[in-house]
Amino acid sequence: MTDWLGMAAHPRSPHPELKTRVLGRALERRRWIAPLAAAALLVILAGGGSAYWASRTIRALSAERDTLSARLAALQDTVNTFIHGTATRLVQVPVSTGGRLGAVTIFADDAHHRWLVRCDGLAPNEPDQAYQLWFITDKGMKTAAIMPMDQDRPMVMALEMPTDHAQVMGAAMSIEPRAGSAEPRGPMVFHRLL
Amino acid sequence: MTQPKRLSLEAERTLVRRLKARDEQALGELFDLLAPWVLGLACRILHDEAEAEEVVGDVFAQVWRHVHRHDARRGPLVPWILAIARNRALDALRRRRRWWRKAERWEQAYGVGQDVDAPTGPDESSVPGWPLHREVHAALAALPEEQRRVVLLAYFEGLTHSEIARRLDQPLGTVKTRLRIAHQKLSATLDHLKDWLS
Repeated sequence: MTDWLGMAAHPRSPHPELKTRVLGRALERRRWIAPLAAAALLVILAGGGSAYWASRTIRALSAERDTLSARLAALQDTVNTFIHGTATRLVQVPVSTGGRLGAVTIFADDAHHRWLVRCDGLAPNEPDQAYQLWFITDKGMKTAAIMPMDQDRPMVMALEMPTDHAQVMGAAMSIEPRAGSAEPRGPMVFHRLL
Repeated sequence: MTQPKRLSLEAERTLVRRLKARDEQALGELFDLLAPWVLGLACRILHDEAEAEEVVGDVFAQVWRHVHRHDARRGPLVPWILAIARNRALDALRRRRRWWRKAERWEQAYGVGQDVDAPTGPDESSVPGWPLHREVHAALAALPEEQRRVVLLAYFEGLTHSEIARRLDQPLGTVKTRLRIAHQKLSATLDHLKDWLS
């Protein structure tokens, strides 16, 4: 019952201005809290949004990293198969393009009907041209790959050999329009029977 | 003598509802009803008008901010606010570095329990809640002097049992016994209080 003991103190009439001061202070706090709460809410929302964006970005980057890792592992596996395969033949063809010397290296895996081709030192193409690699077969020249080369750097590609019972006898490379040609018409870079 | 304003249980509920609905006018009405008591209690504890007015500001600001915490099932509004006022005033008292000296000076000047028998002015009886004040006042005055002293020291000065024992130079057990008996008597006397009209 001590809750009521405060009533034992004698009441005191407050100064008239005390009411104005007290109410002003109590209500002022309320007005002050509203913008503060709004600002806090804004900060929380911004923080939440940033956290969500960061989380999404991290997930996307992780997925991309995993994809690239898988592709790299597959490529490493492919390269190892070419390099270390017992049925792989290695052919290196010196080439001269745009007044510079380079080389085309072919790892020919006849067992799996695949080639791994690496081009070094090829001069960059004109904007409307591309290198085109050809299989020389007993049924004629068959396109193997179109390689637009805009930068001066090595290029590596894996190629599937023709599947129409044509026997591959060699390889050739010519300079063709950028979209490629059905048969070699441009300047021949090399023509080599394996 | 003007007739004291009265606050019924229903009026109190309405006031609390309006406060919870953030009715600023209700806060003004609450001030009119309770400010004399809150200020009186703070003055009684602090013996400093300016500090007591600060406490009044703190109390009404806290009531306005936290009125949703008031649970009518646990007690009426007035004791809840008085408890806030007492706690705020005692906090201010404890912050004072020289509060012991001040309390002793005050005790020498007025003596503990002076408030219980203090005369009242004619205007005070017009303050809302006056009949309740008289009832609590009478309940305290009815206590034997040694019990009233320990109750006043505990409630209005916030002293612990040990501090009261030191202040009165009495054994701790004696102080606890007096407090227990005093609370039992006050509970029996004031148990019927439900609101300002009861």
